[in-house]
Amino acid sequence: MTAISSNSHSEDVIVIENLNKWYGNFHVLRDINLRVKKGERIVICGPSGSGKSTMIRCINRLEEFQEGSLVVDGVEMIEDVKNIETIRKDVGMVFQHFNLFPHLTILENLTLGPIWVQKKPKAEAEAIAMKYLERVKIPDQANKYPGQLSGGQQQRVAIARSLCMNPNIMLFDEPTSALDPEMIKEVLDVMIELAQDGMTMLCVTHEMGFAKKVADRVIFMDGGEIVEENEPEAFFSNPQVDRTQQFLEQILNH
Amino acid sequence: MKEFQPSSSRSAPVKSVGLIAWLRENLFSSIPNAVVTIAFISTLAYYIPLLIDWAFLSANFKGETEAACVNDGACWVFVNAWSYQFFYGTYPPEEVWRINLTIVLLILVIIGSFALPKSIRLKTSIAAWLLLPIVGIALLDGRLLGLEMVSTDLWGGFTLNVFMATASIVVAFPFSFLWALGRRSDMPFIRSVSVIFIEFFRGVPVLSLFFMGSVMLPLFFAEGTNVDKLIRVWLVLIFFMSGYMAEVFRGGFQAVPKGQYEAADSIGLGYWQKIMLIILPQVIKISMPNILATFVMLFKNTTFLLIIGIPEVVQTLQTALSNSYWLGGHALEGYLFVFLVFWGSCFGMSLLASRIERTMNTDKRD
Repeated sequence: MTAISSNSHSEDVIVIENLNKWYGNFHVLRDINLRVKKGERIVICGPSGSGKSTMIRCINRLEEFQEGSLVVDGVEMIEDVKNIETIRKDVGMVFQHFNLFPHLTILENLTLGPIWVQKKPKAEAEAIAMKYLERVKIPDQANKYPGQLSGGQQQRVAIARSLCMNPNIMLFDEPTSALDPEMIKEVLDVMIELAQDGMTMLCVTHEMGFAKKVADRVIFMDGGEIVEENEPEAFFSNPQVDRTQQFLEQILNH
Repeated sequence: MKEFQPSSSRSAPVKSVGLIAWLRENLFSSIPNAVVTIAFISTLAYYIPLLIDWAFLSANFKGETEAACVNDGACWVFVNAWSYQFFYGTYPPEEVWRINLTIVLLILVIIGSFALPKSIRLKTSIAAWLLLPIVGIALLDGRLLGLEMVSTDLWGGFTLNVFMATASIVVAFPFSFLWALGRRSDMPFIRSVSVIFIEFFRGVPVLSLFFMGSVMLPLFFAEGTNVDKLIRVWLVLIFFMSGYMAEVFRGGFQAVPKGQYEAADSIGLGYWQKIMLIILPQVIKISMPNILATFVMLFKNTTFLLIIGIPEVVQTLQTALSNSYWLGGHALEGYLFVFLVFWGSCFGMSLLASRIERTMNTDKRD
């Protein structure tokens, strides 16, 4: 659905090889290897502190890493990558706490990127913003401020804000963890719709229903390593590693 | 299945307290409390009529000279006779429209900062604020506009306090923001320069800075150059103010959640776009009460300029008190007048600031 930049021919949009990261002396990511194909939907789960958020935050370089290589859309992410803003335009991100800009209206939140980063005229940016607001089903909230919206609505605005930049890849960092139980579904519905449209998605989430429904692969992380990865069917019914089994028992049977 | 009907809401119980009950509860709850209350009320009852009598009933309002002050009360004739000097110093009376025009421009810019339509408000008001000191100086000095020149020796009075404070804060504002950014910088050189600057100007009393500006600073200029005394003092005020405001802004920066930076990064904004579009507006909003407090402090500190002989309002008052035609001891009236003028302007600024805070507050639900 999205316009793909120059490297549309390459199959893998994200290639992570032997990625290692330390916070001081704390080894948070250990020899991560991951390839993501265009259009693939990946769900990443694991206990807190397992490095799952840190890993996806490396992809748009909100975090730096010390060893290994990470290629996004054919661009190697190295120490002083000059066009980091270009990568970030291609990679959308949705945060646990929405992180909408509280001093701007919903419409201004959405048009900020298109106007200032993509240099689009204001009218065009607003048209794009309204298109995505309709897609997340809250066009009537355009002129309100984030503080006036419910958590679920704010998170849908955050998704729309990322989509306005026309990204090739979407990263979701526990998008439903800060929501009231009744609001989780409205956000997941938007994400499912996005998945059906063929967006490349990496979701850190514990919504196992969502994983079963849309994921091509489920990855389980613990202690900074990828412990197990598999197709959702096999992952849930027949985990290969005892740690995975233990984790699934904890979150599925409570 | 039973259908859930939300029950209608009731209003909160009214806590009815009469005047007598309130008095008993708050002022006469115990014997010591009652004693203190009665003592306090009787003191007020004794002094307030005296004050009213002095200030109004037996005060002198009409007249031109000290001889007109025949009654026992306050001699407001003194304040009235010197009011031009208190407000405008020794500025030539036929040119005083320039000061008035500058004041009107200042008020227009303040009003415009809220009243303009939202689409043009921000850019117009920033431009207007930055232009204001230049236009003001050009008007007051006159040379740039082809008017008759009025030397800065003649500027004075309360309007000088207002102009010095306003011109300083307008210039200090962007600088202090840069110092605060510098103090948070990852680059050791920029960070240490910022820390040294901020801590120097915060750690040194403003009086000694004024002396430095008027006595020491000229030693650094090339021989023969004579930088105007007011400009030297202006520089001192700017440095002093930006040191303080940098710390105010730093507090504001720390209060903006990290997620805001990350969200700005994630949509690909560059460093300055992120700072100017996302972070700065939130920092200003958070820091608004402290910015105002700092400004009020600076505004009141401009009265210290009398120490280095600049004829601001208190200096003018002292000149008036030692005038040989007005030796009847009018210090009380004079200082009361200065007190009221400063209190009035500072209170006005408080009201203005709370209004700004309300317009900026978009976090709360309506």
